[in-house]
Amino acid sequence: MTNATIQEIEGIDDYWGPAFRSVYEGEGGHEAFVQQLDERIQQHDKEIEKLCNFYYQGFIDSIRELLQVRSHAEELHAEISNVDANVKESTESLCTRAEELIRARRVELNIASTIEKMELCLPLLTTYSKLKSQVEAKRYYPALKTLEQLEHVLLPRVGPYKWCAQISADIPRLRQAIQDASMADLRDFLENIRTLSPQVGAMALVQTQDMLGRSLANIVKNKKENPLQSIESSGPQCPHELVDFSPLHRCLHIHTVLGAKNDFVQYYRAQRKQQARLVLIPSSGNLHDSIQSMKSYLNAVLGFFILEEHLLTTGAGLVSKDWLLDTWSMSVTKVASTLRTNTSLITDPTLMLSIKRQIVLFINALKCYGLPTDPLPLLLQEMAEHYTEVLMQRWVGIFRDILDNASFSPIEVKNQEEYDAVMDTFPCDGDEMETQPFPRKFPFSSLVPAVYVQVKEFIYAWLKYSAGLGLGGGRRAAAARHSASLLLSRSFTGCLSALFRRPLPLMQLVQIIVDTQYLEDATSFLYEFISNITGSELVTTQAAGSMFQAARDDAEKQICDNLEKKVDEFLDLENYDWLLVEPSGQASSFVTDMLSYLSGVLTSLEQLPERARVAAVRAATNRIATRLRNLLLDPGVRQVSSGALYQLDLDVIQCEQFAAGEPVPGLREGELLEHFASLRQLLDLITGWDWSSYLHDIGIEGGKYALVTPRDAATLLEKLKEAEQKSSVFSVLKKNERDRRKLLDTVLKQLKQLQNQDG
Amino acid sequence: MAKTYDCLFKLLLIGDSGVGKTSILFRFSEDAFNISFISTIGIDFKIRTIDLDGKKVKLQIWDTAGQERFRTITTAYYRGSMGIMLVYDVTNEKSFENIKNWIRNIEENASADVEKMILGNKCDLDAKRQVSKERGEQLAVEYQIKFVETSAKDSLNVEYAFYTLARDIKAKMEKKQEASNPPGGRSGAHQLKANEQQRKPTSWLSRCSVL
Ligand SMILES: Nc1nc2c(ncn2[C@@H]2O[C@H](COP(=O)(O)OP(=O)(O)OP(=O)(O)O)[C@@H](O)[C@H]2O)c(=O)[nH]1
Ligand SMILES: [Mg+2]
Repeated sequence: MTNATIQEIEGIDDYWGPAFRSVYEGEGGHEAFVQQLDERIQQHDKEIEKLCNFYYQGFIDSIRELLQVRSHAEELHAEISNVDANVKESTESLCTRAEELIRARRVELNIASTIEKMELCLPLLTTYSKLKSQVEAKRYYPALKTLEQLEHVLLPRVGPYKWCAQISADIPRLRQAIQDASMADLRDFLENIRTLSPQVGAMALVQTQDMLGRSLANIVKNKKENPLQSIESSGPQCPHELVDFSPLHRCLHIHTVLGAKNDFVQYYRAQRKQQARLVLIPSSGNLHDSIQSMKSYLNAVLGFFILEEHLLTTGAGLVSKDWLLDTWSMSVTKVASTLRTNTSLITDPTLMLSIKRQIVLFINALKCYGLPTDPLPLLLQEMAEHYTEVLMQRWVGIFRDILDNASFSPIEVKNQEEYDAVMDTFPCDGDEMETQPFPRKFPFSSLVPAVYVQVKEFIYAWLKYSAGLGLGGGRRAAAARHSASLLLSRSFTGCLSALFRRPLPLMQLVQIIVDTQYLEDATSFLYEFISNITGSELVTTQAAGSMFQAARDDAEKQICDNLEKKVDEFLDLENYDWLLVEPSGQASSFVTDMLSYLSGVLTSLEQLPERARVAAVRAATNRIATRLRNLLLDPGVRQVSSGALYQLDLDVIQCEQFAAGEPVPGLREGELLEHFASLRQLLDLITGWDWSSYLHDIGIEGGKYALVTPRDAATLLEKLKEAEQKSSVFSVLKKNERDRRKLLDTVLKQLKQLQNQDG
Repeated sequence: MAKTYDCLFKLLLIGDSGVGKTSILFRFSEDAFNISFISTIGIDFKIRTIDLDGKKVKLQIWDTAGQERFRTITTAYYRGSMGIMLVYDVTNEKSFENIKNWIRNIEENASADVEKMILGNKCDLDAKRQVSKERGEQLAVEYQIKFVETSAKDSLNVEYAFYTLARDIKAKMEKKQEASNPPGGRSGAHQLKANEQQRKPTSWLSRCSVL
């Protein structure tokens, strides 16, 4: 029992409760257990002693050894401390070096990266400086390219440096500067072409001229004459080469790059349109003053459009076909109207011709450059009319000169030479004349060849205008014929009419009529001449014959007037003694003078057409009859003696003899006498004292005195009565005289009655 | 009816072609001048009434063609003329020399008592003058004919010439009248009648039919 408990306690580290309970509750009480515990302690002491005894020696040895270790340890410690100090010493420099190294490495790295950055920046900077220099050198287009590169490639690549920002900020400014500068260049260019375009136009016109005149013969001739010239033609070949377009193209490129191409194109077009307007206003004001101003005007216009046309063909979109045609059509109308107003003032045909030549050349040049020519051809036609007018005006002057200096006498030639000279200038039938001896006389005056030659000159001048208009020979000839007839029928006839305005000597008038006939007959020769020089078919159908009719009528009328005037002058010389007692038995001197003068004149009218001569003699005779009759019935003459009556009767008989003698051929028989019929009847009635027949026949047609009115009969009878009363106032009347007086009174009364019936 | 004139004088212009007869007449009748030369064909006349000592004198002036070919026509008119102007051109020697021939013509064809006068025309053309005024006067003195230099162009002495000739005719006529009529109591009409009679013996109307 007790032993077990101790064992239990020894065996169990805790949960000693049940062991202690058994101690307490167990047989022998706790003393037994304390005894047993003491025993156990003694046992354990014995065992410890034994154990100590056994390990003592070892212990001592160990201590000894330990002591030894101690000294070793101390040695080791010193040594280690030493080493430690040594290490400490050596690592210290190492550490500083390392640190240095680290710093150097860091610098090195920094440098590398800086260089890298710098390398990125460098192109930017060089580009930027390039840009600057380009701008300075005004090489704007490359400058812009550089700018572009700078902006889009180089700047983004380089970091956000301050200077980059500066450059960035600079870019728009530069761009604007370039744009401005290029605009300035454009303006220079525009100014430049404005001064150059007349030269361009001039050159184009010269080339067109050359081209038009180009024929194999000409080319060969030119080659022969200037064999060198064709080789060493170093100057511009084309007119547009006179102008350096590069500034314009540069500007366009620049604006294209700037993205302002459209604006630029618009600007350019607007500018040019404005320039066009300036070009279209003639700089020298009056183009009709000289050909030079006309030339420069056309040159400028042509040059302007040649340049535009060149721009159209070289593309670039600066000029569009529509725009060009639009501008052109605006301009060509203006050109046409300018030319129209200016040419309409010209009175110099030579100038007209030069201008026409210029315009034709201009039109041809336009065709070469593909520009529409309307309405210029129409203008040329209008000018043709004006030219004709101008020519006609000039020829009116020439005709006037010819007429002013005309002798209006037939050409007389003394020898063959002179004869040939006339025949050479004027085509006429010389067959009859060839046989005549010299001096020969042409029927016409020098007016005829002179006018004929002038009409030919006119035709030459006129055809000069239509040359080069591309008209066919037939059309030219027709127009020339028309103009020539117009010249004769209008201008020449007009001059003739003017001539008629002053009184002309009779013979002059006669010659004019003869001359116009010859001129009219010569029209067919003129037509032949026209067809020869125009190389067209001869047109023989002509409506001639009436061309100078008006002039002839005028001349004939003047001849009649002239004769009537002469008759009047003679009759103004009349000095009848109305109370003549005894007629001399001879006709009055003014009557015989007049009749001999008239027959002389009428003989010299031989060359006149019959119609005209008949008209002239009729007019003269009628005038004589009327004047004589008026003389007799003149209320101013109160008394007429029978002596005076017989004198007048004698004079009338002279005239009647003249009339009956048919002074010119072509008269109806007795026709001229009819003019004297009423006067004759009156005289017969009074001198024959045939009152009974008269009063009986009155009102009967075809009666012997049918042309005597009661009034005239009464008037004359009164005068007779007055005269008789005067002569017999103091004498006593005889019986038959009284009867006669009575009869006279009765007849007068009857006549008065008849007058009253009629009145 | 009141007469428009008191007497009628028939005058004649003769001389070479181109001396200016027509121009002188044109100046006298129309007071105008034409530079162009239109040679006269045959014969023509102009009438102008002038006032001579209160008398209305009608001048019927016959202008003849100077050209030889018209000679027969023109000489027929000599007979009825009461006064003849002989015209030469001072710039044309030949026309002056021919005056003698013209005078012979007058002697053969005109009535013996015809009044004459020599005119040296174109005296404005001093630079071209071929006949001096003295030679003209010399000739006139030889024939006892009045002489004056004229210019139709400048209207020099033209009026004077016609008035002088007309006055001389008038004086001659009055002298004759005085010889045949006792002086005193002549009315205008009466005088006219006298003129008529005066003219009749020399009248050329009898020749007219021959013309
Ligand atoms: N300078 C000048 N020229 C004159 C003068 N009188 C006439 N003439 C010119 O002389 C030319 C002839 O003049 P006319 O009067 O026609 O001669 P004409 O004597 O009548 O000649 P016919 O009729 O042929 O006999 C004309 O050209 C006139 O202009 C004059 O006084 N001075
Ligand atoms: Mg004459």
